[in-house]
Amino acid sequence: MANINLIVNGSEYSLDADPATPLLWILRDQLDLMGTKFSCGIGQCGACTVLVDGRATRSCVTPLSSVAGKQVITIEGLSADGQHPLQLAWISEQVSQCGYCQPGQIMTAAALLAKNPAPSDDEIFVAMSGALCRCGTYPRILQAIHKAIELGGVS
Amino acid sequence: MSEKETLNRRGFLKIAAIAGVGLAIEIFLPGCSDNATPTVNPSATPGVPTQPEPTGTQSPTAILEPTAVSPSCLTPSVYVMIGNDGIVTITASRSEIGQGVRTTLPMALAEELDADWAMVRVEQATGDKAYGDQTTGGSKSIQECYMLFRRAGAVAREMLIAAAAQTWGVEAASCVAKNGKVSHTTSGRELEFAALVDKAASLPIPIVNDVKTKASKDFYIIGTRIGRVENPAIVSGQAVYGMDVKISGMLYAAVARSPVIGGTVASFTDQKAREVAGVKDVVKITSGVAVVAENTWAAFQGRNALDVSWNEGKNASLNSAELERSMVGNASNQPAPSGKLAATYVVPYLAHATMEPMNCTADVRADVCEVWAPTQNPQAVKSKVRSLTQLPEKAITVYVPPVGGAFGRRLEMTLGGGSLPPACDYVAEAVQISKAVGAPVKVVWTREDDFRNDIYHPLTVIKASASLDDVNSMSFNRSQASASVPLGNWRSVGNVADAFAHESFFDEFAAAIGADPYELRRTVLNDRARAVLELAATKAGWGTSLPQGVGRGIAYHATWGVTHVAQVAEVSVDGDGKVRAQRVVCAVDCGTPVNPDVIEAQMEGGIIFGLTNTLKASTSIENGRVKETNFDAYPLLRLDESPQIEVYIVPSSASPTGIGEMSNPVIAPAVANAIFAAIGKRVRRLPILAPAG
Repeated sequence: MANINLIVNGSEYSLDADPATPLLWILRDQLDLMGTKFSCGIGQCGACTVLVDGRATRSCVTPLSSVAGKQVITIEGLSADGQHPLQLAWISEQVSQCGYCQPGQIMTAAALLAKNPAPSDDEIFVAMSGALCRCGTYPRILQAIHKAIELGGVS
Repeated sequence: MSEKETLNRRGFLKIAAIAGVGLAIEIFLPGCSDNATPTVNPSATPGVPTQPEPTGTQSPTAILEPTAVSPSCLTPSVYVMIGNDGIVTITASRSEIGQGVRTTLPMALAEELDADWAMVRVEQATGDKAYGDQTTGGSKSIQECYMLFRRAGAVAREMLIAAAAQTWGVEAASCVAKNGKVSHTTSGRELEFAALVDKAASLPIPIVNDVKTKASKDFYIIGTRIGRVENPAIVSGQAVYGMDVKISGMLYAAVARSPVIGGTVASFTDQKAREVAGVKDVVKITSGVAVVAENTWAAFQGRNALDVSWNEGKNASLNSAELERSMVGNASNQPAPSGKLAATYVVPYLAHATMEPMNCTADVRADVCEVWAPTQNPQAVKSKVRSLTQLPEKAITVYVPPVGGAFGRRLEMTLGGGSLPPACDYVAEAVQISKAVGAPVKVVWTREDDFRNDIYHPLTVIKASASLDDVNSMSFNRSQASASVPLGNWRSVGNVADAFAHESFFDEFAAAIGADPYELRRTVLNDRARAVLELAATKAGWGTSLPQGVGRGIAYHATWGVTHVAQVAEVSVDGDGKVRAQRVVCAVDCGTPVNPDVIEAQMEGGIIFGLTNTLKASTSIENGRVKETNFDAYPLLRLDESPQIEVYIVPSSASPTGIGEMSNPVIAPAVANAIFAAIGKRVRRLPILAPAG
């Protein structure tokens, strides 16, 4: 056990936890941030993706110790009001089916647009290919990313 | 949403949203119950984990009362309640598993109610016979419930019209409802539903069969592209799946199960597991050994520290490759005698691979039990809980969260597989553990647990034969592996292997007699089937030229014989044999299109779901152990591999039929036939990119 400080969605936390605990379980079980999903546990599917200092990060394989002092943004912190262009685009394109993977999809896309506000399809493929969806919403994910760019990206 | 709202047992899952716009909010039963006060916890501040207030067990059955429960709301059936604030609360009786049923069934009710959709809130039914059959499977929800929900809306509308007519002292026949209001056609007077509720609630409920339903020409909700009601909650991370349930005092459990399918615990040592920080208890249950902890990670770590010896049982030497070889035999290698055609098709064991692994939360107490089960069959769950707890039915509440993928895995039914009873498996674990430790428990399966303990699509071999002089002579001999492996309903069930074999063999037959596979199909299909085939072929540009190495394949199938789907796939095969589905054109006739956007989404999703198992992923068993236990070995199709998809819906006013399982079976033969068109090679075993066995 150790005391580890980190900043999640703009708020500072001091956590007394095993430093090897994956960030995912800190977010979900300790901070009640359930929007970040557990699916594969080995960094293979992207459902647990959050931003760590702006980079898309698989929280299920990220030890708490490695994010000490860093800025973590989860789906709950992507916007204060659910009006982030990606969130609006995800609704206008009706992307979700079961919806379980979508927070991870959106956070992966958010990291891409923050770095590259006008990505080509090939750049979108590279960024998004590790975010799996069993329902098969990929065509709409692609449309929604284009729509979000139209709506103003991540200004 | 700036403030986290507490998870209240009564309010749980009452996530509603103004369709298409606005934010999801948790709505509590408005006005009609003493305990219906919205509980927003404004003190939920970062750094202070919110502990939901224990609320005790409150009756979830108030909305089930068949008559109005108070003058302040109108509840003419279990499916709808209209408050005197004008809020229309519709209860979806089937599970939302991604197919859109929490939107489409309420659309059918709201249509007949003549509601203002902006005033509609959707709640999820608990498992209760009062709703009729709640089994969400076989693509039957719309088929079975469309008229039920329409009639429930029509009954409520007639009561509101009667209340308006009484208020004005006019004939009910001179009043009409539309968009949340009743108006008197001759005087132009109008009253909103909100103003009519008190009076309407005091009127007798009309007999369902006496109430007229609308002509389809008058629809203003059915047939429109209304947005899915849970979307705002999903995209803001507020949707509470089973995996996300958290109740006061809850513990977390992980279960060590036999690595060999069907094995049992011989003995175990739990000393090291109990030394893991956060581990509270270790209990033996039917399926294995459960480690119970203060949080999920501790439960996982504790389980890893268990030392369990297993009785591997009769499956210890089971190998799926050997099974398949014995089933296929020499048949596929036998040259067909002159004038005959024969081929053997194989679809292997397949895992469902829902993105949300199996999980369940149970709170078993002396006199009541509450269960949160991401299930397609809450009534089966209730029966299981009843048998495990010996509690009376009315003491058991089964909540159904939105489900993070189901595809038949959570239907709580098996197709056999020896003596293994995996129906409600994850529910039984949660109930047994909660009972043993005397606290609410969420059992969480890891991805590996999920792949190893699925109820699989059966390894299926279909042997086809035909006389080349008769297109109607095709016959198919289908067999499933008889091993003691749990078999279940895997999206579209037997239709997957049937469509693959039938539609591939039809293509082989056409090639053997030198016919165009599209033109030959047109001669054998009925009108409705031929119409989707022609639509798909026309939109795809059937017969037009394609680049070298690219082929076009066509297939048609009606899953469960109800919804007609035709697909044309354009597939490229490169010099290394890499197969890529570039474009898929899909035509569908599902009767009245209740929500075209939801239909298109299901067609798209079914194609991509099917492409995963057409091209890449399958389950194999070696020495009784499932080999593919995570997405690295069971690779799902990815965004960059996803084809361009076009969906065309045949206009229809026929009764609506299902859409969930309709597109998935058609893609495998369409792709296989396209590969033949591209490079002249036949594919007779799925997945295409995996070596046989």
